[in-house]
Amino acid sequence: MKPVKRKKLLRKLLLRSKGRSRLWAAIVALCIGTTLLLLSVMVWWNFEELLSGKSNNDSLGSTFITIGKEVTNENMGKPMLTLFTPTEIEAVHSVPQVQDVGVLISNRFPVYATLSSRLNFATEMFLEAVPDRFIDKKPVDWYWQPSSKEVPIIISTEFLNLYNYGFALSQGLPQLSESSIQSLYFSLKVGAGDIQDTYMAHVVGFSDRINSVLVPESFIEYGNKVYGMNAKSLPSRLIIKVKDPSNKEFVQYLKDRNYVTNNEQLRWNKLRAIVDVVTASTGILSILLMFIGTLVFILFIELTIAHAQHSLTLLLQIGYSPKYLSGFMIKRFLPLVIATVVASMCIAIGVQVIISEQIKVMHLNLPTFPGWPVWLALGISTFILVALVSTSIIRSIRNT
Amino acid sequence: MQLSLQGLIPIPLRDRVNSYESGVWKQTFTLNKGEHIFIQAPSGTGKTTLIHMLYGLRKDYEGIVHWDTYNLKQTSQEQLSRLRATYLSVVFQDMRLFPELTAWENLEIKRRLTNTISEDEMGKWLERLGLKERKDSLASTLSYGEQQRVAIIRALLQPFDWLLMDEPFSHLDKMNINKAIKLISEVVTMNKAGMILADLDENYYFTYTQTILL
Repeated sequence: MKPVKRKKLLRKLLLRSKGRSRLWAAIVALCIGTTLLLLSVMVWWNFEELLSGKSNNDSLGSTFITIGKEVTNENMGKPMLTLFTPTEIEAVHSVPQVQDVGVLISNRFPVYATLSSRLNFATEMFLEAVPDRFIDKKPVDWYWQPSSKEVPIIISTEFLNLYNYGFALSQGLPQLSESSIQSLYFSLKVGAGDIQDTYMAHVVGFSDRINSVLVPESFIEYGNKVYGMNAKSLPSRLIIKVKDPSNKEFVQYLKDRNYVTNNEQLRWNKLRAIVDVVTASTGILSILLMFIGTLVFILFIELTIAHAQHSLTLLLQIGYSPKYLSGFMIKRFLPLVIATVVASMCIAIGVQVIISEQIKVMHLNLPTFPGWPVWLALGISTFILVALVSTSIIRSIRNT
Repeated sequence: MQLSLQGLIPIPLRDRVNSYESGVWKQTFTLNKGEHIFIQAPSGTGKTTLIHMLYGLRKDYEGIVHWDTYNLKQTSQEQLSRLRATYLSVVFQDMRLFPELTAWENLEIKRRLTNTISEDEMGKWLERLGLKERKDSLASTLSYGEQQRVAIIRALLQPFDWLLMDEPFSHLDKMNINKAIKLISEVVTMNKAGMILADLDENYYFTYTQTILL
């Protein structure tokens, strides 16, 4: 006769319970609950990542915004009132959500641009400069020094769109691609009267972030000094790097001071509130589901133990220890719990991988794997589950 | 391992116990390892109650039962299971086999607890008591006599200092009793153990060192 294993005999005695379907129901409920919990933490965390994460999600309202003072009927015509004083700049800097502040300096000298003869296009224009660290796509040749006769320019993608879809069509001018614009050179006539110079300019890049015509800071500074009409001037716009542009306090700060910005970016504020509510309610629902799942699971275990009451008593009477029997039961049921939790985690990882792939189409970046809050939620819920299941087994066997 | 009893009174039998002079109840005495004790107990005097008390199955009594330093009333379940697995073995009057396991499995589950007796040895014992053909039958299908023989073998499959037996041969014929006595004597001697046998009538199954009237 083959040796009969002790474990096999114990299984025969203790695990005869017929409620397989109940066990599966409990496991499925537990799995759905855990998965939902992980997913709600994950959605919340993904939003945090998108809004304030380290990777630059530029088109998502970006972490960079430009602000200016609202032009109202009261301050109209008094340009000094719409400019930022050093104290005000300092104040913006000290707002907790603001990580960096840069001023947009504009030219204080006349600029007249002429496009080469063929297109016969000439216009007066303005230029602005920001510190290099605020430029989203800084081209390699983005520098200027006084001896140089060539000025690189970055224009807003918006301007190109305005030209292509509005101006060009209405004036019968050719539409231009980004690369064709970059190959065009035009002359910049700067200054007036005796102090006048002509520079060659060409577009080296396009910015989604700043709605302006940008030249290197050194050029504006030089121009303002050499061709400038009024020596020192204050900035009218600030570019700021914000940790989270949808942050409530920050939005309130802007509102209180009548600072305006692209409303687009602040719309995330509302979306974020919705996401918070949705994730919180999913979270509560999932905890409820997990609770029910755990309850059914524990009831199933207690039912199994109650079914095996007679065998358990007799096993204790012939010398088996409660610790050994509890250990046997725990070893039988814990793997199910762990498998359930692992299954949930796999689903969560799968969803994250898919989301991070899908979202690339929208030029947003999310990590491929769930972040630490998801793992933390997993750890805590697993710990609670394991503790509950183990204590219920130990208690039921002790009460035998 | 030494057994000492101090003024035992089973609470459900209190009135009855107070009405006569018993050799066990209300007495204080000590039994040493290696003794062969016969407890003669007429019906209703609490024979099974006593065996269960000594084995730690019930605590509804006054007085103290000591196995060496273990006071049974204050022993934890863990300690009790250690005591049962290595020092005390028992043949219950009502056998107490697992009905859903075969005869062999009933023995195997006990044997594998301590692994003191080899599987071969166990097979031989089964054969000696005439159960070889029945080893794969479910315990619930065995006759009382067969169940009793399985219960006897099961009690011998562990190391012990004391073997407690409660009417161990009540369902056996003379031939089988003799076989069982021989086997029990051998294993008790091998373990240098003591035994306490409780039965209704006077008997000479073993050479007793003491006979006590319950």
